[in-house]
Amino acid sequence: MANLNIRSKQERTYQAIVIGSGISGGWAAKELCDLGVKTLMLERGRNVEHIKDYPTTNMLPYEFPHRGQIPEKIKQENPVVSRCYAFREDAMHFFVKDTEHPYVQEKPFDWIRGYQVGGKSLLWARQVQRWSDFDFEGPARDGFAVDWPIRYKDIAPWYSHVEKFAGVSGNKDGIPHLPDGEFLPGYELNVVEKYFAEQLKKHYGNDRHMISARCAHIHGNAEFYAQQGRALCQNRNLCQRGCPFGGYFSSNSSTIPWALKTGNLTLRPDSIVHSIIYDEEKGKATGVRIIDRLTKEMEEFYADVIFLNAAALNSNLILLNSTSSRFPNGLGNDNGLLGKYVAFHNYRARVSAEYEGHSEYTTSGGRPTSGYFPRFRNVYKQETDFLRGYAAGFSASRWTGTDTSGIGMDLKNSILNPDQYGPWRVGSHMMGETIPKESNYVALDPNLKDEWGMPQLKINVDYDDNDEKMVKDYIEQMTEMFTKAGFTNIRSNDSKQAPGLDIHEMGGVRMGKDPKTSLLNANHQLHAVPNVYVTDGASMTSTSTQNPSLTYMAFAARAAHHAVAESQK
Amino acid sequence: MNRRHALRHIALISGGLALIPSCDFSQEDILAAYDNLKITPSQKALLGAISDTIIPAGEIKGALDLEVHDFILVMVNDCFTSENQEKFSAGLNAFPDFVQEQSGKKFDALSTKEREQLILDSAKLEGDETEAGKRNSNISYFVNSAKRFTIQGYMASEYIQTEVVPYSLIPGEYNGAVLISDLQKPRVNG
Repeated sequence: MANLNIRSKQERTYQAIVIGSGISGGWAAKELCDLGVKTLMLERGRNVEHIKDYPTTNMLPYEFPHRGQIPEKIKQENPVVSRCYAFREDAMHFFVKDTEHPYVQEKPFDWIRGYQVGGKSLLWARQVQRWSDFDFEGPARDGFAVDWPIRYKDIAPWYSHVEKFAGVSGNKDGIPHLPDGEFLPGYELNVVEKYFAEQLKKHYGNDRHMISARCAHIHGNAEFYAQQGRALCQNRNLCQRGCPFGGYFSSNSSTIPWALKTGNLTLRPDSIVHSIIYDEEKGKATGVRIIDRLTKEMEEFYADVIFLNAAALNSNLILLNSTSSRFPNGLGNDNGLLGKYVAFHNYRARVSAEYEGHSEYTTSGGRPTSGYFPRFRNVYKQETDFLRGYAAGFSASRWTGTDTSGIGMDLKNSILNPDQYGPWRVGSHMMGETIPKESNYVALDPNLKDEWGMPQLKINVDYDDNDEKMVKDYIEQMTEMFTKAGFTNIRSNDSKQAPGLDIHEMGGVRMGKDPKTSLLNANHQLHAVPNVYVTDGASMTSTSTQNPSLTYMAFAARAAHHAVAESQK
Repeated sequence: MNRRHALRHIALISGGLALIPSCDFSQEDILAAYDNLKITPSQKALLGAISDTIIPAGEIKGALDLEVHDFILVMVNDCFTSENQEKFSAGLNAFPDFVQEQSGKKFDALSTKEREQLILDSAKLEGDETEAGKRNSNISYFVNSAKRFTIQGYMASEYIQTEVVPYSLIPGEYNGAVLISDLQKPRVNG
């Protein structure tokens, strides 16, 4: 009996465990496996194999019974996820339904989740802009949160490392606060987007830029990506269904199959992590306790090093639930700050307009990205009555209208020949930095549990006065820029959407120099439990304005190499 | 007194018969495919005729050939709020009487021109809080919804997207400055 137990324990022992298979977990696993580490990847959801499990990927519009629309019954039962722009008939199987995984909203928070192998890397918007020292130095300069323990020079080589492998297209724009990277050829801006970029230069000098947004799509060097079984992006714009070409980067198309090919990865889907096991005698984490999603049985796995990449808020949940007599308030939580200083991106406002110029032009074909307007507020010094700033997405498009007022053959010929060109339409949406605060937190609900007996997460996150001022400034500034560019019929909208719908929730397990005021050190190790690394959104000390996934990838790769170097000491 | 009012009176007289048919389908089965609606085969046929008036067959197929009226009912059944389903159904129920009042004929008996005019007119009906106003508002809601879904269901049909204006899964490399004068799109003649 004893021998059997020993053998069984050996079979459940690995060198490393990665919790989560999304964008950062995939990177952690890939790097560990490339370095020869026997790695177990745990994923709470079902398996999704590249191509095989993309059921809608090649469906034609008329094959969707509701032509993409979500039926009313599903909407009413799932109000939170139904507010997500990508929750449509073609991709709804990749989203968590509200009814399946309840949580407690102390304040409105739209928590958008993807519980499957690959996580939200199947669904993301694929925008990958680097941070610079203007971002990493923000908290120290402006006196909020705590100082980041790292700077751009620490992370720059890892940005390069992940960009090359993931495939990032973009242009060398030479903007100090949006560093250039290892780019495949960039996507073209259209004639009106270029015009707007020129107008910005004319009216604002070199302060405001409009560039082609860097995106994680293969747009060149096809031979290199063929090694991963991926091909050039086909401009289908159906990414949220999963891409059969592997044209955009996801864990499913890239890091996971790569890691599996090394022979070092064991992937275990349907494994809901209950907690990380802490051994008081050894003074370190020794493994992970899971609940099998299907059988609901508990099981333990063991490893020398644990990577926590469950996505920002779920990584908080797992640490909060990992209690022991040494850590009664959650693993590594000696200072009581675990779950606090959660922040996000402010996506509330949009400005749109029309443009009568360049009326002789339209566009053809497709592209997977659009324009990007980097932050210009408070970059070099504080100059407004709010802290930090915002970036913005920008795009212009030409629509052909059809007259649908008629009936019969007139109507039929009108809709079959859409040849009435309207003005160009331009649109922009803000991506504002929010300031992490102790009062924005997540915690475990003391009473409510989910179907597997896990405590439900209680979320208490809200906007503040800084966010309100920023919304106002964005609308004023974008309206001014549009006016100067000669755009007309300018409209702005503050959706007042709840935090969370930006799908950029961050923090709760922040990095910092001082164990008294942070949870993680400069290498993403828990100060108090250094063989546990947290390299997803939970680790973010501040949010800046850039879409964060690229930074998580770089964090995960860097931390994986650190862990291996430590183990060889 | 029309038939519906008569029925309602009978129900009241007979001491509150619970189920008052809201239109003339007492003799017909209800189509199970649209379980949130109470649609009879003759109502579905009427919707088919309306959709075919909106987009008729010509050199290429029309809405009825593509069974767009089934798509309309699927969308109303699955994607409308119950409040809007009620408005749609009430408008569909009231439509035959409306046609009779306006033209003295049944919809089937009208010429193409008369049908077109009737649909255009009914789409513009304005409602108010009176009984007649509510009926007008339901009829225009029904007709406008039917028209919107006819256009959507027709254009996003397999026939149109494969044989007439082929849909491309692979749209090709982006060109951000195409001169409209250089585009040569063959004209589709419906």
